[in-house]
Amino acid sequence: MSMTMSRGGRWAAIAGLGVAAALSLSACAPPGSSTEEPTTPSEENATGTLKVGFLSPTSGNFAIAGQEMLDGWNLYWEENGDEAGGVTVETIAEDDAGNPETALTKAHKLVEQDGVDIVVGPLIASTASAVAQYTAPLGIPNLHPVAASNDMTQQNWNEFTVRVGSMGGTQSTYPGGVWAATEGGYKKAVTLCHDYSFGWESCAGFVQGFVENGGEIVQQIWAPNTTTDWAGYASQVAAADADIIFVATAGGAPGPGFLTSYLDLGQPIDKLMLNCCAADQGTLRAMGDRIIGLKSVSYWAEGRDDPATKEFVDSYIAKTGEVPGAYIAGGYMTAALLAQVLDEKGLVTGSDLVDAITSYTFEDSIFGKVSWDEYNNTIMPVFVREVEKGEDGLLYNVPIAEYDDVDQWLGKGAPADVTAIVPYDQTHQGL
Amino acid sequence: MLIAQQVINGLAFGATLFLLASGLTLVFGLMRIVNMAHGAFYMLGGYIGIVVSALSGNLLVGLIAAIAAVAVLAFIVEVGLLRFVRGQELPEVLLTIGVTFVVADICLWIFGGDPQQLPAAVRPQGSFTIGDFTYPWYGIFVIGVAAVIGIALAVVQTRTRVGAIVRAGVDDRETIQAMGINIRWVFTGMFVVGAALAAIGGTIGAGRQPILQGVQNEVLLYALVVIIIGGLGSIAGAAVGSVVIGLIDVFAKTYIPELSYFTVFLPMALVLVIRPQGLFGKAA
Amino acid sequence: MSNPATRVTPVVRPSTGLIPAGVPGSGGGFWRSRWMQVAGLALVFVVGLLLPYLGTNSFTVSLTSTILIAAILASSVNFLVGEGGMASLGHGAIAGAAAYGAGWASKQGWDVGMQVVVALAVTLVVSFVYAVLSMRTSGIYFLMVTLAVGMLIFGLASKYSTVTNGDTGISNVARPEFLSEYWTYYYFVFGAFVVATAVLWVVRQSPFGASLRGIRDSESRMRSLGYSVAWYKVGAFMISGVIAGLAGLLSVWHTHFVSPTSTGVERSVLLIVMVILGGIGTTMGPLIGATVVILIENVLSSYVDRWQLILGLVFILVILFARAGVAGSIAKLVRRIRRRRGSAPPGGPSGPEDAAEAVLSNHPA
Repeated sequence: MSMTMSRGGRWAAIAGLGVAAALSLSACAPPGSSTEEPTTPSEENATGTLKVGFLSPTSGNFAIAGQEMLDGWNLYWEENGDEAGGVTVETIAEDDAGNPETALTKAHKLVEQDGVDIVVGPLIASTASAVAQYTAPLGIPNLHPVAASNDMTQQNWNEFTVRVGSMGGTQSTYPGGVWAATEGGYKKAVTLCHDYSFGWESCAGFVQGFVENGGEIVQQIWAPNTTTDWAGYASQVAAADADIIFVATAGGAPGPGFLTSYLDLGQPIDKLMLNCCAADQGTLRAMGDRIIGLKSVSYWAEGRDDPATKEFVDSYIAKTGEVPGAYIAGGYMTAALLAQVLDEKGLVTGSDLVDAITSYTFEDSIFGKVSWDEYNNTIMPVFVREVEKGEDGLLYNVPIAEYDDVDQWLGKGAPADVTAIVPYDQTHQGL
Repeated sequence: MLIAQQVINGLAFGATLFLLASGLTLVFGLMRIVNMAHGAFYMLGGYIGIVVSALSGNLLVGLIAAIAAVAVLAFIVEVGLLRFVRGQELPEVLLTIGVTFVVADICLWIFGGDPQQLPAAVRPQGSFTIGDFTYPWYGIFVIGVAAVIGIALAVVQTRTRVGAIVRAGVDDRETIQAMGINIRWVFTGMFVVGAALAAIGGTIGAGRQPILQGVQNEVLLYALVVIIIGGLGSIAGAAVGSVVIGLIDVFAKTYIPELSYFTVFLPMALVLVIRPQGLFGKAA
Repeated sequence: MSNPATRVTPVVRPSTGLIPAGVPGSGGGFWRSRWMQVAGLALVFVVGLLLPYLGTNSFTVSLTSTILIAAILASSVNFLVGEGGMASLGHGAIAGAAAYGAGWASKQGWDVGMQVVVALAVTLVVSFVYAVLSMRTSGIYFLMVTLAVGMLIFGLASKYSTVTNGDTGISNVARPEFLSEYWTYYYFVFGAFVVATAVLWVVRQSPFGASLRGIRDSESRMRSLGYSVAWYKVGAFMISGVIAGLAGLLSVWHTHFVSPTSTGVERSVLLIVMVILGGIGTTMGPLIGATVVILIENVLSSYVDRWQLILGLVFILVILFARAGVAGSIAKLVRRIRRRRGSAPPGGPSGPEDAAEAVLSNHPA
């Protein structure tokens, strides 16, 4: 066995040498490392180009949402040309597959290899969180067209992360609860939400709005993220002693899944109120005329009777034959906002860009009047909507009530220490 | 009323699982292959079933189209790929994993990322009411389809020559080969039948839960749990396992939602440790 | 007691069982016949060492760190599959659990040393659970058990949000101060990869490794020789688990982030893909496999939409035509050339390519 020993010994020696070499080398920095932070963009962009890194899940379970977000963004530049205020906007789009590790790697590539000035996206909460913690210390603005996690503009807020085309989960559902208890005249509610942070936050918003206005929550049901079979939940909500059923899920399959099971039971559509994503256009297309009259609450209402909205909706229909949902609107809004800011200020990057955005009030955006609060979150209208069939035979979410200037503190003012906010969960709903 | 509804919900979910698990367990029983592409067959069958039923306005036409398409795919996979690795457990499993990647991406390419469901026009609508118990017809329809197929499989297995060959092949592959039966085509046939069952599951299932990217992994996991608990190779096991998992899943979600994720995988782990051949599987 | 679930289909393999991987024979002959392998290793080593100085930018270096971490994790899977014949779909969850341990410690505000302690503790516990649950199974049942336990860990990561922060994941995990630069971290990871590979190599050459291979080739024979097969498998799993845990810790320090996706089954499937692509049982196989998969996932995907299709096709082709993977096929080729030249004995020593044969053919239990 002496062979083994000396072989083993030889390998151990090599390994040891390697480690020693590694340690000694680490004493002197390699040439590329002095610019560990990418060169300040303004030096590179003297020619007037703003490089945008666009991250979204165009493959995997969230492919449709990721693709729509990108499509909305691209649509704006196709319609209006990719120049604004003398600045050319160059987009480099990457697929993060809904996976945080991939999203981070792609973010690294966009920032370190492609030298982008800003990062737009990604979409899924875990990926958004991972990327934001990377871009912020580098001073790279991170704009979020669709992401809806509360903490991004609350406990984990930072100077460079801005929500631009959507709202926090709680912020967008709160007016729904208010409306249900007041104008809607409902007294008892049962909630069915996805059992993770987005679901908890969305339910918390409705619950607070409803209870603060005299309503009573009889039961709260939480459905796992991976639920594909909604029949059991439909039975549960139907059996609950409530006159309104609030359902909040992430976009995609859950909306049609739940609605199919619910309607199959012969239950009435007007007992339901859904959140933005459960009643998005994807659901409307999948369900068809069966859900005419379905109520929901969201910051996006494609049936809104407003010139900017109509123009956007019409051009999207002309291009694809489909009505744009919230993901497309978010992407488009982000592009439109960027164009407005560049028009006003010329080429700005870094914290200048963030300041320019957050101090701007976008009066006639497709969402209505949008402004920003001190934690880089949006303040904009929220609509209670109902599904109607348009003259063109397509289904639209049309506003039946509007709440203006909804902020993330629900009109109650910001807490003293934002970083100490306790996140919502199944038991802590803010009551 | 809620409990009665949940029972049928559980059975309906179990019915979809059975359609999926029966194909998987048959293929394993005869060919010792765990076909990880089974979920992809379900997904493809679902998409095609939806698209063709929407175009033709008829569920049966959609179903036949789905079965045909997936059967062709399965035939190609079996003859073109799996035959090269016949008898080698791990490569077979790995090959089917590769097939899943390919089929899933092609589905994304062709059908896009939107979740899709059977159009309302083609599926049985409405619900029936007895006293104050209401239940949708579609759930009963799914249970019915699964029951019919289950019975058909049992009859074929026990009363036909083909079934006898299959049973003999499960028990002792070498001997029936020695008896001159061309085992290769029996294998191919079984693989195609298994895939066809998955396609039926996909199309019928698409009436209750949407088909979209990612569904291939979700349903595969559930099917694996069912066949492990029921016993690899046993139709009766697949039936019992499907019912058990379907009911456990629904009732856990209703009454102990915090633990609902574990109520499915914990039994699987326990069965594997305590009685690996499952409830109805054969001890080697 | 043989596992009732595994069918023993007797397969006769020549030169099987107890031959240790490694060569009997004279000293000079060993190095001569292995010079290609050593040269290859040395080349990789030198390139790796000099990478940050070769004019690469920080992204390339950090991507290479990602590859090395994946290679460490793939090595742990490779060890278990190659030496023990146990293909696991649960290693992603072991690494993920270790990452969560460190992440949780970081959230508590504890220092880096405590992160390591917690990560190690979690790794040992999780590996032990896997090992004990799976020790009496093999083949496809082993695969299913590891899958089931992995899903349970994924479920915990997703649901137990007071500890794990649920689906949003834990962010801003602190890395040791002296490793905060991207290139110093790269060297740390590189060193860890060398050490992990060396450790696994030493275990392979040891009597323990030999016994494992015996178990891989025929469990019943080893049992009849008096070996306590189940506990050997537990030992193998523990070793593999610790390496996986190391990869998990390195990963959370690399990205400062951990989420349930790291523990999911998709990750574990990709690990198996890496191991097969690279070559089961080879030393460099995991690195090659990790490089191919990570490059396809992260670089090819920037240029080609259908990258998942390509990954699937590549995988299928490798299984069909190059079972021994890249490293294994190269070794086979070299041996064939050498045999033609007559410089190696026929029916020669078993090497990595035989590991592939043993595992990917019928491996009787």
